[in-house]
Amino acid sequence: MIAFQRAYGRGPLHLAGTLATFVVAAYALSQVFDLLSRPYGFVLWFAGAIVAHDLILYPSYSLAGQAVARAAVPPAARSRLRIAALNHLRVPLLLSGLLLLVWFPLVAGKSPTTFEHLSGRSNDIYFQRWLIATGVLFAASALVFGARARRLAERHNED
Amino acid sequence: MRLPPIGPFRPDFWRSPLRGPWLASLLSSALLPLLVTCAVTGVLSHFAYDTDLGHNAVWGGPGAGNGFDVYGLDWPSSPAWLYAANQGLHVISGIAAIPLLLVKLWTVIPKLFENPPARSIAHALDRLSLALLVGGALFTIATGVMNIQLWYAFPFSFVPAHYYGAAIFVAALALHVALKLPVVRRSFRERGVVAPLREDLEHTRPEPGFDDEETSAPRQPAPPTLTRRALVGGAGAASLGLGLMAAGQVVGGPLSELGVLAPRASGRGKGPNAFPVNKTFASVGIDRDEIGSKWRLELIVADTPRKLLSRDDLLALPQVTAKLPIACVEGWSTTQSWSGVRLADLARLAGVERPGTMEARSLQPSGILRRATLNSGQVMNPHALLALKVNHADLSPDHGFPARVIVPALPGVHCTKWVGALVFTDDSAEGAA
Repeated sequence: MIAFQRAYGRGPLHLAGTLATFVVAAYALSQVFDLLSRPYGFVLWFAGAIVAHDLILYPSYSLAGQAVARAAVPPAARSRLRIAALNHLRVPLLLSGLLLLVWFPLVAGKSPTTFEHLSGRSNDIYFQRWLIATGVLFAASALVFGARARRLAERHNED
Repeated sequence: MRLPPIGPFRPDFWRSPLRGPWLASLLSSALLPLLVTCAVTGVLSHFAYDTDLGHNAVWGGPGAGNGFDVYGLDWPSSPAWLYAANQGLHVISGIAAIPLLLVKLWTVIPKLFENPPARSIAHALDRLSLALLVGGALFTIATGVMNIQLWYAFPFSFVPAHYYGAAIFVAALALHVALKLPVVRRSFRERGVVAPLREDLEHTRPEPGFDDEETSAPRQPAPPTLTRRALVGGAGAASLGLGLMAAGQVVGGPLSELGVLAPRASGRGKGPNAFPVNKTFASVGIDRDEIGSKWRLELIVADTPRKLLSRDDLLALPQVTAKLPIACVEGWSTTQSWSGVRLADLARLAGVERPGTMEARSLQPSGILRRATLNSGQVMNPHALLALKVNHADLSPDHGFPARVIVPALPGVHCTKWVGALVFTDDSAEGAA
């Protein structure tokens, strides 16, 4: 048992569980290769989803977020007000980005012919709706920030 | 084998003080119920097609052989809202999971750049199973989200790909939960389940991580600019907001106003036929003449001559009106008042005493869903109709004129439109033979 642990790195139960998962996954993949006319498309999209998130989406929003953070809160000028300002930028930016990510096909008006052909409706209304939603998010965030900034300033004056 | 400590492989590259096993545990605890709901309703959605009947199997040909199917289960036809609720839950839980999943991935992404990349065989297998987990989650959610917005940009057919992608994901998730449960319990024991949510910015300290295990906690944390409650609360609010948007097209009524960006929430004008359409008349390629005055409904039973009924013949039969939801696999539904002839009455008219199954054939010239086979419980339901009218007006061509099937709790795509023929099997004949 100790020899197994040393050679493998964990107990035998870990190996059994991991192999069980791989067996199910391999069966599912074999079905994909049996049934789909373009199974490599499946594999490509599956692996592509990881790459798209881990190496494209994450680095982009992370770098953009760090740039905003450096601009709003420079290390030398860290203050409650600046941190609040940063977060009141972060929230609408992230929410607007999330809406765009989830509803991208609608917002970008992807395959308008298919959309209208199947549903009998046009998908050209969504870009405008997303813009309005983004505007509302930023405006609401700015309003709340205004109120908070005044409170912070009053507290500052009392000190 | 160690990689050179450059870029994200440097231990001091990851600075956020909020990352760590406690945050990962809390997010996972919120995510798991959503993912389980989504997976269970997904499997049920598959069962709802009764894939062992007729040509109902969307892939793999008729009959057995569809992946992880359990046979001999008949999808019930009561309560009427069963399928609408199932699909609604499926799409709402899947969409609501997105913000939590993204924040969870943000929390644990330092572990993608662990160095050395593999410490042992077990560790290497762990990481491979994580690729299945993350890939499975992203693939399944992305294809689902694209499908409900009718953007078929992928090079494969949606249903089997979404199904087997989900199967891989669920297998990897079961392993992940089993392996990570000790981490969750340890984090909650050491730091409390919600205690870190009470800290304000002054009291937001970096997570220490574990001294005997690699974690996502930072080695050289930067000063915090966000509290944990703001991060978790923000993710939760985003999840709730997206969930409500998706709910807008399931529940309808005033809630549908919330579906600002949901594909089927807003109406199609006013009038008895102004409710959402899955496939328009124009998209299926049926000739206008075929649904005109020469249209006849064929009633087919093996070894007996076919019966032909005109729309007037059907209107002369006893009419039943039922308020029933029709629900799309894509998670939207709408409840309307349908009138027409009971399927059970049509079976009797065709000379069938105890209907086994009924296949409804559309005039649609192609497409896997141009015919659907119903189980006997569905055929015999007193609200199972061949509908001729909706909201007291004739069906519009988009909604299946001259006649369509509508059955409580039946998947929308099985509520065949532009019906040309109904094929009944007789259970009593089988019993006699």
